[in-house]
Parts: sequence; C-alpha cells; structure tokens
Amino acid sequence: MALKQSGNWIHRHNYNVRICHWINVICFTYLLLSGIMMFLQFPELYWGDVGFRGYEAIFKLSNWGLTWEEADALGNRQWGRNYHFLFAWVFLFNNLIYVGWNLRNRHFSKRMWPGRGELHKDNLKKELNQHLHLRASKGDAAKKYNVFQKLSYLIVIFVLFPFMVISGVAQMPAFTAISPELIDLFGGRQSARTLHTISTLLLVLFVVIHVFEVFVAGAFNHIRAMITGKYYLPEEEKI
Amino acid sequence: MNKKTGTLSRRKFIAGAGAMSGILLTGCDTDIYTPPAIRSGLMGVSDVLTMASQRLLMSGQGLVKEFETSDITKDFPAWGGTNPEDENYQRLASTGFTDWSLSVGGLVNRPSSFSLLDLKRLPPRTQTTMHICEQGWSAIAQWTGVPLTTLLEAAGGVKQEARYVVIDTYDGWYDAYDMFDVVHPQTILAYGLNGKDVPQGNGAPIRLRVERHCGYRNLKFLKSVQVVASVEDIGLGKGGLLSDYNWHWYAGA
Repeated sequence: MALKQSGNWIHRHNYNVRICHWINVICFTYLLLSGIMMFLQFPELYWGDVGFRGYEAIFKLSNWGLTWEEADALGNRQWGRNYHFLFAWVFLFNNLIYVGWNLRNRHFSKRMWPGRGELHKDNLKKELNQHLHLRASKGDAAKKYNVFQKLSYLIVIFVLFPFMVISGVAQMPAFTAISPELIDLFGGRQSARTLHTISTLLLVLFVVIHVFEVFVAGAFNHIRAMITGKYYLPEEEKI
Repeated sequence: MNKKTGTLSRRKFIAGAGAMSGILLTGCDTDIYTPPAIRSGLMGVSDVLTMASQRLLMSGQGLVKEFETSDITKDFPAWGGTNPEDENYQRLASTGFTDWSLSVGGLVNRPSSFSLLDLKRLPPRTQTTMHICEQGWSAIAQWTGVPLTTLLEAAGGVKQEARYVVIDTYDGWYDAYDMFDVVHPQTILAYGLNGKDVPQGNGAPIRLRVERHCGYRNLKFLKSVQVVASVEDIGLGKGGLLSDYNWHWYAGA
C-alpha cells in the first residue's frame, strides 16, 4: 500500500491503530498485574479438571524460592479479580473494534499479510540475519512491516488474544453450565488455567521483544509515530 | 359430587401453582441481569456486563456438567472455615445434629422449621459436579440433598413479592440468591457428600450447592433460610458478606 509521503515523512499508523494500541497497553498492564496478584494467592498449576493444594501439581512456585505463605502475602485477589474482569471487558471491546475497523479498511490484507516472496526461506533467512545483527530497516524497507513483525502481530492478534479470552472464560463456574464442552476442549478446568498462564508468558515474551525492537529501530521516531501517526524515514546508508 | 371434588382439586392446584408463580415469573424478569446493589463506577459496569452476558447465555437454565462417579476426587478439600466457634453449633454437633433444625421464613406461605430427618424425607437430588473455588482450585464430588424449590414448596411456596433467598450460617456468613439461581434444579441443600453425611469440614450438617457460582457462595453450616423482597436492610445491604466487603456479588465469575 502506498503510504502518504512528503519528503522523508510518511503517515505510518491510522488513528484507529494508534488509539487501540495505547488502550491495549493499559489493558495489558492491568491484566498482567491483576493476573499476577491472583496467581500469587494460588501459586500452583495443574492439569485436568482437578487441582488443589496437596494435589499433584505441574508447577509450584514454592519450588522456585517463594513459599505458599510468602506468595499469599504478596498477592491480593480481591483487587485482582475486580481489575482483571474490568480490563478483560475493555480489552475485548477494544480488540473487536480494532479488528472490525481494520478488516473493513483492509489494513490487515494490505499491510500485515505476508506475501509469498516474504515467506520464502531465503527471505526469512535474510530478515532473521538482519534481526540478529540488530540492523533496523532503512529507506523503502522501513516503510513496511518486516515479515517477522507481520507474523508476530498476526499471531498475537488472531491466535493469542482470542486464546486468552477463551481460556479465561473456560475457568468460570458459569461455563460449567453454558458450555462444559469448552472446558473439556482444554482438557479440563485446571488445564485451561495452566494454558492461560502459558499464553500469558508468550504475550510477555512478545512485549519484551516488541519493546526491544522499538529501541533498536529508534524509540523516539517509533513512539512518536504511534502517537501522531507520522514517521520519519531513515535515510538509506550510502556506501 | 364427583364433579365438585374435581373442581375443588383443580382450584387447589391452581392456588398451589399461583404460590410458585412468584418464583417462576421472575425467570423472565429483567432484574436477573443485575446484582441487588450495583457497585459504583466502572467496576459496576463491568459487573453488569459479566452478569448480564452470562445470565443471557444461561437463560435456558441448563444444567452444569454432571460427572461419572468414577470421576469423584479422593480427599475433597475442606477449605475455608471447617469448625464454627458458635456455641449453639458446637452443642448441635456434639449430638450428631439430631436437634439441629433449619428455619424457613420470610415471604413463604407457611413459615416452618425442618429437622435433618424432615429434609431427608423430601424428594432428594444427587449430582456429581465440579466445585470451583474463586481462589483457583477445583475438585469433583457427589452431593445429595433437597432442591431449594422443593424446600420452599414444603414451606407453602413463596409470596408474589419474593425476590431473594437469604441464607445464614453458623460461621457468621450470609448470602442472598436471586430467583434465577433459586429455581435452578441443581441448587440443592446438600446433606450428603460422596454417599456419606457431609463431614464437618465441608459444612455439616447442610451445605448449599449453587453450582454455577464460585465455591464461596456455596455456604456451609446452614442455619436459616429467609425469603425477602429486598436485601437493603440485611448486613450492609449489598446482598452478601463478601459483597459487603466490595467483592462482586455475581460469582459465575
């Protein structure tokens, strides 16, 4: 897609993307924090339908240096539940609006769907090499998302986000009536809780890499672009 | 003569059905979508969204999944309060709850008191279900008890203005349940756990089962059942001990 350009300035992000991005930053912060506050007061993970203190666990925080009582003292699940559910709703609406809007203006198909050439192993190798050497795109290449950006954004938006919502509701007592099949699909209520936690870790990993890459590619320029929409194209290096 | 008797019994039947209509009618009322007291600010918006969406999905009053007896968890946890300090409770427990009785009052047509034996004489329901604690744990157990609707019918049915059933316990808890949960077939007052009497740690002699809610609303050590039109004057008026302390009232999650 041809982006509006004047001189070295391009219009990189539409306003819907910008607003939804920052709302998601707030949601993610609160959801993660409130999730941790709840987890600390039940710091074990199990598989299947059944799990309680004393039952065979697949993860125990007490094996990692924090006893049950110490973790309990750090947590606060009343605060956790209140804010987790509140921001789950904001998160859900925000992303439905984001996906709906950008499907309609074909943002995904035009700018985020990787072409066949990009997915070719030679190109993947080339771009991976560029990432590993922390070389940010310049010139024309900086106008578009690189293939790893495209893939990771699509996975986060269309796989991990829905998975978080579905594995979240599968833990709720009401769903033992609404859709017990959904709970069974995860392999049980405790499995849903465990997978919800693992999926959280994947999202945290994404955020860490995402923020790191922003710094590699120029934090000021990129953060300004996500706020104002305007992005200054770095000049191609002339050798 | 025959005709007269027929008419009479029919009229009696209609009167009986009328007594229960207070319960049944609320099934299509809009207040099943909101808690008795909505919290202020965004938290209240979030509560209503959660409750309304889930109640909409449950409007058919479908049952929660019932498991096979082979799925029953060995050593079902005794979490939270396991031995109320209450003097009366200790006295009743010392004689195996033979003197225990449950008062059913408020907006019922025939306020009554039920001994453990009275309850066991009412038509029972047995269900093997998953208990989900808000803290995070879950386990499967088989509960036997009398459906709450059966108990209310035994007390003459509820009056037209009935909105909530308030339950008090011997360990100082109370909670209010709206008619949507009261009429659910799996809402029972359980006296049996896995084929035996409910042990003290799990709420002897009677524990409430409201299967579509988190564990903390499945009250233990029941003391009384009271049918009311409003929860305003009970506790801090938020419809339950935990909601009085700013927890969300609706615990479907």
